[in-house]
Amino acid sequence: MKLSIEVNGDRHDIDVDPETPLLWVLRDELRLTGTKYGCGVAQCGACTVHVDGRPRRACVAPVRSVVDKRVTTIEGVSGPTADAVRKAWVSIDVPQCGYCQSGQIMSAVALLTKIRRPSDEDIDHAMSGNICRCATYIRIRRAIHQAAGDAE
Amino acid sequence: MKSFSRNLWAATSLCVAIGLGCVVSCQRSRPPTSEPTWLPADRGLRSVADFAVISDDDERSRALFLEVAKVLQHDRCVNCHPAGERPLQRSGEPHQPLVVRGEDGFGAPGLGCDTCHGESSYLNMPGSPHWHLAPLEMAWEGKSARAICQQIQDPQRNGGKSPAELAQHMTHDELVAYGWAPPEQLEPAPGNQRLLGQLFQAWLDSGAVCPE
Amino acid sequence: MSETATRVGVGRRNFLVTSASLILGLTLAGKNAAAGGSPLTIVRGGDASPDLFIELRPDETVAITCHRSEMGQQIWTAMAQIIAEELEADWDRVRIVQAVGHPRYGDQNTDGSRSVRYNFHRLRVAGGALRTMLERAAAKRWKVAPSSCRAVLGKVTHPATKRSLSYGELAADARAQPIPAEGEIVLKKRADWRYIAKPVKSLTVPRIVRGEGTFGMDVQLPNMLVAVIARPPQVFGKLKSVDDSQTKQVSGVVETVTLDTPKPPAHFQPLGGVAVVARNTWAAIQGREMLELKWEEGPSANYDSETFAQELMAKVRKPGEVRRRRGDVAAALERAAETVAAEYYVPHLVHSPIEPPVATAKWDGDEVTCWACVQAPQAARKAVARACEIPEDNVTINVTWLGGGFGRKSKPDFVAEAALVARAVQAPVKLVWTREDELKHGYYHAVSAQRLEAGLDSEGRCVAFLHRTAFPVIGSTFEAGADQPSWGELRLGASDTPFAVPNLQLETGRADAHLRIGWLRSVANIYHAFAVQSFVAELAHAAGRDPKDYLLELIGPPRHVDPNDEGAEYDNYGSSIVEHPIDTARLAAVTTTAATMADWGRPLPKGHGLGIAAHRSFAAYVATVVEVAVDEAGRLTIVGVWSAMDAGTVVNTNHAHSQLEGGTLFGLSNALYGQITAKQGIVEQQNFPAWRVMRMNEAPRHMETTIIASDAPPGGVGEPPTPPAAPALTNAIFAACGLRVRRLPIFGPDRRDRLAVEGAKQ
Repeated sequence: MKLSIEVNGDRHDIDVDPETPLLWVLRDELRLTGTKYGCGVAQCGACTVHVDGRPRRACVAPVRSVVDKRVTTIEGVSGPTADAVRKAWVSIDVPQCGYCQSGQIMSAVALLTKIRRPSDEDIDHAMSGNICRCATYIRIRRAIHQAAGDAE
Repeated sequence: MKSFSRNLWAATSLCVAIGLGCVVSCQRSRPPTSEPTWLPADRGLRSVADFAVISDDDERSRALFLEVAKVLQHDRCVNCHPAGERPLQRSGEPHQPLVVRGEDGFGAPGLGCDTCHGESSYLNMPGSPHWHLAPLEMAWEGKSARAICQQIQDPQRNGGKSPAELAQHMTHDELVAYGWAPPEQLEPAPGNQRLLGQLFQAWLDSGAVCPE
Repeated sequence: MSETATRVGVGRRNFLVTSASLILGLTLAGKNAAAGGSPLTIVRGGDASPDLFIELRPDETVAITCHRSEMGQQIWTAMAQIIAEELEADWDRVRIVQAVGHPRYGDQNTDGSRSVRYNFHRLRVAGGALRTMLERAAAKRWKVAPSSCRAVLGKVTHPATKRSLSYGELAADARAQPIPAEGEIVLKKRADWRYIAKPVKSLTVPRIVRGEGTFGMDVQLPNMLVAVIARPPQVFGKLKSVDDSQTKQVSGVVETVTLDTPKPPAHFQPLGGVAVVARNTWAAIQGREMLELKWEEGPSANYDSETFAQELMAKVRKPGEVRRRRGDVAAALERAAETVAAEYYVPHLVHSPIEPPVATAKWDGDEVTCWACVQAPQAARKAVARACEIPEDNVTINVTWLGGGFGRKSKPDFVAEAALVARAVQAPVKLVWTREDELKHGYYHAVSAQRLEAGLDSEGRCVAFLHRTAFPVIGSTFEAGADQPSWGELRLGASDTPFAVPNLQLETGRADAHLRIGWLRSVANIYHAFAVQSFVAELAHAAGRDPKDYLLELIGPPRHVDPNDEGAEYDNYGSSIVEHPIDTARLAAVTTTAATMADWGRPLPKGHGLGIAAHRSFAAYVATVVEVAVDEAGRLTIVGVWSAMDAGTVVNTNHAHSQLEGGTLFGLSNALYGQITAKQGIVEQQNFPAWRVMRMNEAPRHMETTIIASDAPPGGVGEPPTPPAAPALTNAIFAACGLRVRRLPIFGPDRRDRLAVEGAKQ
């Protein structure tokens, strides 16, 4: 079935089953492989994207649900908050393997967009859905605090 | 506890019944016997008709609430009426990952319920429009049927809902409807939503007496 | 290519960018490595011929071939630091080329915490050799003495005449120079290092934060198909019948391929089953769900984890085979004023790298090229050759980035699967493991039972130390029926216990394996350190002593311990015991450092406790202190963690801290939640959170790490942080509330997260 979706500001006309998870449309059809598969059941957060600016696990979002909405992926996320997050991530060398970090960054940007100066508890509550098997949590937390300072 | 007075409660429910186009008589003294419109029993939830044999009004009212409570105390409902800040999942385990109620019941900033829960159940993921947690004062987790019964009649702890609004919520709310439309791996609540609505209304009509 | 682009309706530009970056990232490198004529083919660590690792490009970039796999340990950066240091390269011009799997690189198996440990000297020599050649080339050009020329940051200068030539300008001349012998190369002095032992920024992170870089899962080839496999529920189970008619109704499914059942031992063979091949991943996954499969049970169909735990524990309650002996433990136990005994159990664990195994294969005649997230590309090459019955030279293994490895990706069964399926469908195939596949068909960390007994004298000093261990062995994966713990497994925290006790004995019990047993980050150290370091705290408690003081007393005076002197066959992680001795002074030093960092002995709030553990593994020393709070309901909070590591010379100080942080939390995660169980030989955990790993809200908010400054040769870094984490945590729990956890995980599958303290509701 033909659908039209907007990803990172670009319109894409695709021919897929509307029940397909957004994750696999992004990865297999649009070749936007920055959004990762980690579990397929919304437990790990590696597939986090933004839909109309709100975080969304792409593995449990049917592509039909984002028609007429704005999808943003790690490749496209931009603006002062995203810049501050990337800068903090690089300056601290947060990632180890990096596979989960697209999702971590998308969640962190979503948090900082809502709360400019998040507390540790805010960070726990916003980031608990993103598993990092390398366990870079110490640095993710530090980087979010740093990005919060930089974004001001 | 602040509760509706029985009269007010009954009077209100009459309006509800009319408002809903319900044909049920709401006069307490007339037990609902052999009404052809009662929905049949369904998947562990009895029909209102099954309660007609109970002649004592209070006893019938209590029994009706216990039937309603089979749904209210079911995991599909209790999981989002938790006693703490964290919802439950599956058979009453703490929600994984950690998510919290947040200010408005829709989750924490940056990890709203809609991060995972869409407009309808999809794959393994439960869903419904406006997926969110009941406020803490409406917590049902770990509570007896009697406690829940008292709680939902207390405007301080039922979101300020009138009986009419409660009946409306039970019968038509989309999020309540989810209880019967979970993803495959989860057990649906007993019966169906219309049957719940009838039982709830019958309970109101019978005087809204709480079980012991 | 354009056909694919048209089919998915994406702009051609977009696709080309992706595929171009893929090709760039995976270029064959080292092809023209000096086969002969190099006097550096045998230096310590392997072949140090510069053209094996370094290419000077005309655009002044320095392409450094990394022959180890990048899986988050920042090995790209570390290898480049070592080479760039001795080469005097300009860091901003360093580019990484990932090596294919080939014996010319020597050992490429990126596990065992040995990338730097084995390659440090060798890569310094390679860099220093090319620097020497550049200086000689410049000297020749200028007709001056080579000793008057100096290579600095990408240029050779002649200070006397203020002339200089860039590396790019000198590249051709330098290549024409003979490769110097090791004795001719003057390695830089430690004091002159500009990259080594510095917090040089990661070469991968700037790409990661933009979603760039190619992981195994991200490989895309023109006309590529995607496959997932339905594997037998039990190892060596057989396919009885398959009905794929529903599968073929799924839009996008191309065909199904039946794979042969392997014969024991498992090795790195595919497990068999039915592959569903489709035009995209989702179609493959859906198609697999629609398969109607009937299986014949495998030989492990009676394997039940609960029963097995009891059987395993029974083994260590009886005397076992003695593997190390000092003095006379039996007599000393007899004479002891007090004896203490405790039994410990650690379940199966699984790697769960956040990127599951995945490999892509493309055939060209009887040659196959693979792209895969492998830790051991040479093993992958062998496994593919063996599975496809072709010569190894017909197999090319390109190594992508790894989304975590932890030992899983050194077992290349998935690459062999990709090659077999791609050959069957005569198209490039990406073979994807879902999370469920990864959890249910892994190479599991062995379940283990241990019993420790000690005798204390009237002063509470330990005079006898008996350690019995039993676990299904890794050897069973490679030799059917193997049931005897190997020296290689015992050296991981059992045969090398460095305690200053007069009587010490290690005994082992035999155990059958029912799952594929593999190795997971720090391997048997996980359970051995858990038991030994828990037991130390139990002895301290019995003796009425402070656990940190008691641990230091057991570590004893500064000395070198060699288990070979006491009947053990001890290979010291493949490193020389002279260069990397078991040095009790270093173990005591990290212990003291971690204790000081945590302010050990300070007054603690009610319900708080401190626990400590110290362990040497992979020729490095780590001590960790954990502070926990346990409330009356049994809720546990990890308040703080303090870890000190002595890994000898550390190439990247920042990234060593990262490993110390992550490796410690990895150990804490295992201890808190890690448990794989089997019923009827079938792994029960399907996905997260049935298999549970630590999340942000469960990680300590406070963690401090110290890397001990050291001139010693490099030890391991990736694995040593993990072993002491679990016992430090359980020791802290004991200190906080008196609950001694001897069976892991700490929290059971009910996920209520309550410790069994008085008043705690389960």
